Amino acid sequence: MGYTLAEKVLARVSGGQPVRAGDEVMARPDFVVAYDFPGYTDVIFRQMKEDFGIARVAEPDRYAIFIDHMVPVATAAEEQLHIQTREWCREQGVPLYERRGIGHQVSAELGYASPGAFVVHFDGHISQLGAYGTLAIGLRRNILEAFVRERVSLKVPATTRINLHGALQKGVMARDVFHHIVRVLGPSACRFQVMEVGGPGLSGISLEGRQVICGLAMFTGAVTAVCNPDALSRAYTDPRARITLPELVSDPDASYAAVHDIDISTLDPVIVVPPNPANTRDLAEHIGLPINAGYLGSCASGRLEDLRIAAQILKGRRVADGFSLHVIPTSQEIMARAADEGLIATLVEAGAFTSSPSCDYCFGRIAVLSGGQRAVSTGTLNVSGRMGNPDSEIYLCNAAAVAAAAIEGRVTDPRKYL
Amino acid sequence: MPLANLRGRVAWIFDEENFDVDQIVGVKNIKITNVEELARIAMRHYDAAFGEAVRAGDIVVGAGNFGYGHPHYPPLRAIRHLGISGIVAESFAPGFWRGEISMGTPLVPCPGIIGLVRRWDEIEVDWSVGLVRNHTTGNSLAFEPLAAADIAMLETGGLVPYLKRDLAAARAGA
Repeated sequence: MGYTLAEKVLARVSGGQPVRAGDEVMARPDFVVAYDFPGYTDVIFRQMKEDFGIARVAEPDRYAIFIDHMVPVATAAEEQLHIQTREWCREQGVPLYERRGIGHQVSAELGYASPGAFVVHFDGHISQLGAYGTLAIGLRRNILEAFVRERVSLKVPATTRINLHGALQKGVMARDVFHHIVRVLGPSACRFQVMEVGGPGLSGISLEGRQVICGLAMFTGAVTAVCNPDALSRAYTDPRARITLPELVSDPDASYAAVHDIDISTLDPVIVVPPNPANTRDLAEHIGLPINAGYLGSCASGRLEDLRIAAQILKGRRVADGFSLHVIPTSQEIMARAADEGLIATLVEAGAFTSSPSCDYCFGRIAVLSGGQRAVSTGTLNVSGRMGNPDSEIYLCNAAAVAAAAIEGRVTDPRKYL
Repeated sequence: MPLANLRGRVAWIFDEENFDVDQIVGVKNIKITNVEELARIAMRHYDAAFGEAVRAGDIVVGAGNFGYGHPHYPPLRAIRHLGISGIVAESFAPGFWRGEISMGTPLVPCPGIIGLVRRWDEIEVDWSVGLVRNHTTGNSLAFEPLAAADIAMLETGGLVPYLKRDLAAARAGA
């Protein structure tokens, strides 16, 4: 019986002997990645010194810190946190990436998404590096372990394999594929497992789309997600990868906890109704629902294909009066490309508000809703309060549906504008 | 030191699958940091008298994928402060699992637990034999074993003491 990609990666980083799902290992992350956030990095930096007497991390190049939340700052206290982060990184010699974009995306751009690498973060959306064959796991506070010693304790997860078949129709995006997976398999289908996405249908899904699917894996219960590297992903990672590793892919006879086949050619756009990321419905069921605001961005959207389709829909049209549309490119690299392609101009001319990349639109720090308001969003979550007010509602959908809703001020099938 | 058994009454049963623990204090209150205030609010929505009825050592029971969504730490801080000693559920969501084990909160995955207990039954989690016993009915069920690192975190009281113990042992052995 063969091995899964996850088993092979964890075998490589825990001593080299083969491991199987269920084994408990001490695994050495190739990279330890985090963004500065109160209660996480500030506490970790203090605990390292005060609780463990560790002045410096070993091998600072294994670490990467991002400043992507609280960008730009709104209070002096927030700036103080960033100052502390900058000082810590300078003292330690740890690379700091500030204002380059949302760290999960910038990690990919900077080559931390090396195929076959093992990456840890505290935030589970780092799973999106799986699009490149990287095993990236969010450990929550257990990330502390990776700052005070070389290895982290981990139970090797089993893998559920999802084979995609067919090609997406116009106006249907990777975002819809992910929420369809949750809909048909359920919010605990991959609980404590790796969601491995493959099959002939994957080749038609862009790397950006694969990042979306992998990055939201936690809502299937998964600890992370991976795709086996292919020609498309290698073309992206070959010039960027920070470490070059022997090629690792799941064996054809790998042992999976379950295998599912999903036909994506028949999918229509979906919408995820509040207050739970498992509430996938047909967008068609909610056509006409009045909407006050739209957010196109986050680590689960805001990439070129999202901006392109939004620009296509909004070109020559106007955002509805009183509707707040925020379109926030996910990284500076993406923003620069979008500007080159004229997408930013098209979006702004249509009435969209845009800014440099920031996580702040996604977690309710800025662009908040008021009580009784309703948003469509490509953010990661629709739990109540996520956009700043527990009495508002968030409907998750693809980027095209956000753009279409912005024109009409209500939920709209984007395909009529394509 | 081996883990002490949990023993107490079933103070509440969350029979909803994929339960979002933020509901314990309510999303509106999730940013409160004062534990006394959190404890006053906790569970009020489910049982206004919860705070008075619960005793130290009592246990909360949950359904499948308990802790799904985007769990924050205040709800569990609140009910631990009220005396809740642990949670036995059909299964747990991994993010919640990691977060709470690292806080030293005993979590016990026990498929079938919803059918084993009723509110206020006296139950015991026996770590040495891997059983949840219902002392009120005399029935029992096996629970799923925890990883060694998870057990060690519960024994030591959480992530920081666990890492301190492990690092001290490594230094002593070096």
